[in-house]
Amino acid sequence: MKKLALIRRLSQVFFLSLFTYMLWVTPHAALFFKIDPLISIFSLFSLIMLGATLIIGRFFCGWVCPLGTIIDACGIKAKNRNTGFLRKVKYYVLGVIVIFAFLGIQIAWIFDPLVITARFISLNFIPSFTLAMDKAFIFLIKSLNFYAPLYDFYRMLKLSVLGTKIFYFPHSFITVSFFVIICGLALITKRFWCRILCPLGAIYALTARFCLLRRHVDKCIHCMTCSINCRMSAIKEDSSYRKEECILCMDCVYDCPDLATKFSWPRKNTGRQAEGSISRKDFLFLIASSFLLLGFKSKEALDAAKKLIRPPGVLNKREFLNKCVRCGNCMRICPTNGLQPAIFESGFSGIWTPHLIPEIGYCEYNCNSCGNVCPAAAIPKLSLADKKKQILGIAIIDKNICIAWLENKECIVCEEHCPVPQKAIKSNDEFFNGKRVPKPYVDISLCVGCGICQNKCPTRPARAIKVLP
Amino acid sequence: MNKESIFESLPKREITRKGFVKLCGIGAGTLAMNNALLKFAFGQDNVSTGRTVKKIKGLHDLVAIKGDDPYAITVKAVEALGGMDKFVKKNSVVLIKPNIGWDRSPEQAGNTNPYVVGALVDMCFKAGAKRVNIFDNTCNESKRCYENSGIEKIAKGKGANVYFVDDWNVVKAKFSYKSPMEGWPIYRDALECDTFINAPVLKHHGLTGLTISMKNLMGICSGNRGLIHFDIGTKLAHLTDFIKPDLTVIDAYRVLARNGPSGGDLKDVLDMKTIITGSDPVLCDSYAAKLMGKEPLSFSYIEQAVKLNLGNADILKADILTITA
Repeated sequence: MKKLALIRRLSQVFFLSLFTYMLWVTPHAALFFKIDPLISIFSLFSLIMLGATLIIGRFFCGWVCPLGTIIDACGIKAKNRNTGFLRKVKYYVLGVIVIFAFLGIQIAWIFDPLVITARFISLNFIPSFTLAMDKAFIFLIKSLNFYAPLYDFYRMLKLSVLGTKIFYFPHSFITVSFFVIICGLALITKRFWCRILCPLGAIYALTARFCLLRRHVDKCIHCMTCSINCRMSAIKEDSSYRKEECILCMDCVYDCPDLATKFSWPRKNTGRQAEGSISRKDFLFLIASSFLLLGFKSKEALDAAKKLIRPPGVLNKREFLNKCVRCGNCMRICPTNGLQPAIFESGFSGIWTPHLIPEIGYCEYNCNSCGNVCPAAAIPKLSLADKKKQILGIAIIDKNICIAWLENKECIVCEEHCPVPQKAIKSNDEFFNGKRVPKPYVDISLCVGCGICQNKCPTRPARAIKVLP
Repeated sequence: MNKESIFESLPKREITRKGFVKLCGIGAGTLAMNNALLKFAFGQDNVSTGRTVKKIKGLHDLVAIKGDDPYAITVKAVEALGGMDKFVKKNSVVLIKPNIGWDRSPEQAGNTNPYVVGALVDMCFKAGAKRVNIFDNTCNESKRCYENSGIEKIAKGKGANVYFVDDWNVVKAKFSYKSPMEGWPIYRDALECDTFINAPVLKHHGLTGLTISMKNLMGICSGNRGLIHFDIGTKLAHLTDFIKPDLTVIDAYRVLARNGPSGGDLKDVLDMKTIITGSDPVLCDSYAAKLMGKEPLSFSYIEQAVKLNLGNADILKADILTITA
């Protein structure tokens, strides 16, 4: 009976499912980022998490972290190797992130495990899963002429799990490969990412060095089973262990042939404390290494960042790049699928930040969801009335494409769809062969740049009206 | 040395002419089968020549009713026309096509009044309908439109099937005469129903002047709908001929008089508190146009519909009953 290990597995599955569920169905996924000290260090929840780590240890990594669960699953058949001093790398990663934070540049988004998982689930897993489900249903319904009950069920699913729209993200290949590489590292050795790279793990490791709950071995026979099997390579050859590396997976309790291993509260004479992990030399090396990445502050990158249409309420685009953690929550919640991850359009520092592509989807006038789900307040939380006043860009009509201007045809679809109550697109009537042809023009003082005109413009391949940021 | 050893470990296979042809054959065969399978699975677009219906006439050509309660006056109007039993047979499938085009509240008058739709659903079930379907191809994001218009909640509460359109479930329109709508994808459910009730809202529209019942039929069209706007009069007339709505119930309870069809400003909304019903879509549209103080034949789609002989646009010749509740 591996009771504790079983409970740990259940806990992992539970939290992974909860995380997916929150991203999929509810707009409250930002709550999960509140317990993440790497992203919101000053939130009450992350302080509670750090406090709990101070008492129990790195339980988050072994019992809660959704990425850890996936990595565990990937590495289930992998060999276990001793990674030795490589475990220090994660402190460098954390150190670089912290130093950059003091310099005013936020790069936690590259390495934060919750962000990586959320991005994968929102931008890859949910779209592909719903697409496959949708196609399967269409196949069954159409080919078998199964119109009555199955079709009703399908329509019901569209209200909940499937959603009214199958989301699509171009370049999702990059997101998925990043995720696959991180999980695939587990094939080299179990929990490769958690041992060596994860900066959140480093924060918890630094805290867990002082934790109260400890591993004890009575009358060790030096069979080395626990040391070989430890997924974090935390157990040394003399059966003592590095406390900050232990994620409380409880495997060693059951691996021990004599059942001599126990986790318990401190007794007297507990022997040696956990040894220090970072020396002065390491620290100097860390400071030196962090300057390698100063390319982040280059001027071209910031200029490029201004070329995109950002979500409503984002005024300072430089500040936006620093606040955004690239979790993909806003792109998941955007009802029109218009918010898309930028790749290199705004330079390397803008990778995966959301921007609006009106030809895929426009900014819904009555909607402020993206601001409500942002865990880092990069997109400000706005009331609906305030959001309607936010200006994303200005629409411009290209008279060489517009069929009303070029071919004197009746159209003004843009005017029809313009959501501004006073209509930011107006038209002048002209008469051709006794027919009224309204010619549209944009009233710049009213246009909010939502992009619905570009989205609905019927000209192909290029749209006659475009929103410029 | 190393490189050679890697290549040597691969299984050796010589390529012959016969083998090559065989390989190409297998490849082409697989592709063709794959294509056939995909076509079988996803590629069935049927062709339809439109609904075939018997023209049902009410007791009057048109009933217009004025009153304070949208639900009550809708019921009264349809009763004055002869009751819903005249239009809906027992165990039949009914489609109610309201205007749910915009993410707007009922007060902003961008969509059909939810109580008008609710009254129609109740009457259909009372007349013995087996199933009442409600859908619209929305302009804004569909889920938000269905929710904020209030139609989904009220109609679902009364037992109707309110669902979103599926762009794969369409048929292609076929006309017996030359039409610009030839081949346009139309949602299958709009054709596979026994009774088609068109429930538009009367409001201003930039291109056509007013959007009433014939313009409301654009909601059953899939595809790049913006293109319908070119030569819209002819296209709407042909679409009306294709669908032949059995009953038209125009909601003029709240009327958006300016900045339509989406609106949004409550100052643009007039309280007209009127419901117009009739079995002739052209007459209904003409009456609604007259109500707004416009000449019916000045609207291109009414003009084209009269040319096609779809209905009567001359209000003076029609048998019209006006009631004030």
